[in-house]
Amino acid sequence: MLLKNVLVRLITTAITLFGVAVVVFVLVRVAPGNPIAMMLPPGATPEDIANLSALYGFDKSIFEQFVIWLGGVLRGDFGTSITLRQPVAELVLGRLPATLELSTMALFIALGLGGTVAVIGARKRDTATEVGLDLTSGAVLSIPDFLWGLIFVLLFGVLWPILSISGRIDPRIEFDFTTNFYIFEGLIRGRFDVVMSTLSHMLMPAMSLALPLAAMIAQLLKQNLKEVLNQDYTTLARVRGFSETSVILREALRNAALPTLALVGVQFTFLIGGTVIVERLFAFEGLGNMAIDAVINRDLPLIQGIVLLFAALFTVINLLVDLSYTLLNPRLRHG
Amino acid sequence: MTTQPHENTLEIRQLNATLPNGMRLLRDVSLTLEPGEVRALVGESGAGKSMIGRAVLGILPSAVVHSSGDILLEGQSLNAMRPKTRRSIVAKMSALIPQDPLTALNPVRKIGPQITDPLVRIHRWSRDRALKRALELLERVHIRNPERVMNSYPHELSGGMRQRILIAAAFAPSPRLIVADEPTTALDVTVQKQILKLIRELQRETGTAVLFVTHDMGVVAKISQKVTVLFAGRVLEDAPTEAIFNDAAHLYTRGLIAATPTPNATAEPFRPVPQDLIAQLQRDTQAEDVRFYQGGRK
Repeated sequence: MLLKNVLVRLITTAITLFGVAVVVFVLVRVAPGNPIAMMLPPGATPEDIANLSALYGFDKSIFEQFVIWLGGVLRGDFGTSITLRQPVAELVLGRLPATLELSTMALFIALGLGGTVAVIGARKRDTATEVGLDLTSGAVLSIPDFLWGLIFVLLFGVLWPILSISGRIDPRIEFDFTTNFYIFEGLIRGRFDVVMSTLSHMLMPAMSLALPLAAMIAQLLKQNLKEVLNQDYTTLARVRGFSETSVILREALRNAALPTLALVGVQFTFLIGGTVIVERLFAFEGLGNMAIDAVINRDLPLIQGIVLLFAALFTVINLLVDLSYTLLNPRLRHG
Repeated sequence: MTTQPHENTLEIRQLNATLPNGMRLLRDVSLTLEPGEVRALVGESGAGKSMIGRAVLGILPSAVVHSSGDILLEGQSLNAMRPKTRRSIVAKMSALIPQDPLTALNPVRKIGPQITDPLVRIHRWSRDRALKRALELLERVHIRNPERVMNSYPHELSGGMRQRILIAAAFAPSPRLIVADEPTTALDVTVQKQILKLIRELQRETGTAVLFVTHDMGVVAKISQKVTVLFAGRVLEDAPTEAIFNDAAHLYTRGLIAATPTPNATAEPFRPVPQDLIAQLQRDTQAEDVRFYQGGRK
C-alpha cells in the first residue's frame, strides 16, 4: 500500500518535472531576445553570430536541442551557464541553501506569528480584540512582500539601522564554509558570530516574505479554531474543568490545523516564488536573485536549471504537506 | 471540601434564562436532586430540558442572559462564585454524559488520555492512579481489551463503544452529580437498552445523583425516581415517577405518556399529544410572558 503510494508519487513527479522542462525549454526559445546577441559586441558580423550559435547548439531545431539537453540532464549534466561559464548544476545547487534557509525561516516566522494571533483571536472571540486582530491581519495581508521589504529597509535599515540591508553575511567575517547552509553550519561548528550575522541579514527579507502568509494563517486558523470550539468534545473538555486556553491548545488546535495546513502548503510555494523579488531587493545571494540575472542575460541553460529546481522544490513541499497531514490526522493512517 | 450528607446534591432555585431578543428559555425553574437520586427532565424539543443541564454545568450558549435564580451544588451557591472557582468546583463535583458519542470524543487524540487527562490535570491524581481507574471503569462498562482501546483513536470504535467510554469517563472521578443529556438518543435501539442499563447499574453502585434529560417516557419509567415535566421552559409537573405514570396531575403529562409508542403494537394505535392542548399551553405561556415583562419592567 505504502510502496504503491510512493511509486505513484514518483511517477507523477517525474511527469510533472518533464512537463515543466518542456514548457520552459520551448518558452525561453520562442520568447524574444537572443542570448547570442547579448554576448557579442555591437557590430559583430552575421558570420560571428552563426559561429557562436553553432557553438552553443542554438542553430539546431528546438526539438533537437531538447533531446540533446534532456540526454545531458539524465546523465546529471544540466549544461553550462552562458554568462557565468560554469556548470548549471553547480551554480544552482550552490545557491539553493541560501533560498532554502530564507524561505524556511520565513515559514517558521509565519507559522509562529500567524498561529499565535489565531489562538489569541479564538481565545478573545466575539470581542473587540478579535475585530482588531482581524482588521490588522487584513491590512497586513493586503501589502505584498516586496513592499514589506521596502518598509523594513526604511525602518530598520535607514531610520533605525539595526539590521543589515544587503547580502547574506558580513563579508568581513572569515569562515570557510563547506556547505552553503550558513546558519546550519555556523550552529554546528559553534560559530555564533556567523549565525548572528546571517540572521541579521536574513531577518528583514524573511519577515517580508512571512508577513502576508502569517496574516493568512492567522485568519484561516482562527476561523477553523472557532468552528472546532463549537464541537461537542471541546464543550466536554470545558465541563471537565479545562480553561479556555487549555481547550484551544490541547483539544482544538490540532483539529483546526488540518484544513489550515492545506493552505500553508500552497501558500508556501507562493512564498518561494516571492523570494525572487525579495532576494533581489536585499541583494541576497539566493536562487531567486540568480534567476533574475539569468533572465536579464537570456542565460537559457541557467533559466532552465533554476526553473526545474523550483519545480522539484514545489513537489517536495507538497509531499511534505501530505506527510504531515497523515501525521496530524490519525484517520488517514489506517485503511 | 466538606460534604454534608443531609444536603441536596443539586438545588435549582427560580432559574431564568433569556435570549437577547427577549425569548425566555427557562421560566422560574426550581428543582432538587437528593444524593443518589435519578431525576428525569422530560419535555419536547425546545422545552428547555437540555438548557437546565447546561446551566448547571456552566456551558450555556454565550448568547444566553442569566436573568435571575441560583444553582446550588451541595449547598454551595454557584452564582456567588467567581467564574474560575465555579468552573473548578463544577468540574470536581459533576460530569456530563453527552448526547452524541460520535462527536464527543476528540478525533485526533487517543482514548486513554481523553479519560485520564482530567483526572490528572484537574483532579490532581497521580498518572498511575488515573490509568488504573480508567482501566477499571472501561472493564466495568464491558469494554473488552481495555488496554488496546485506551491506545485507539475514536474512529476505530463503534458508537455504542464510544458511549460506554464516555460513561466510564464520566464516572471515573466519582462525581456527586452526573448530567446525562439524552445519552441514548443518537444510538440504535438495541444499543440504547444496554447503555441505559449500564448507567442505572453504575449509578446504583456509586450512589451518584443523576439529572437525566430525555424526551422518551419509556426511558423515564426505566431509570428515574422523580420526574420534572417541562413545557416552554416552565415546570409543568414535578412528582415521583410512580405518581406520574399512575396518576399524572397535568393533562400534558398524560398526553406525553399516552404518546409513548409501545412494542406490542396490538394494544392501541399511536396517539400524539393533542394539538389543542399544546395550543392552550402556548397561549398560557404567552400570557405569562406579558405579565413577566410588564411586572419586570416596572
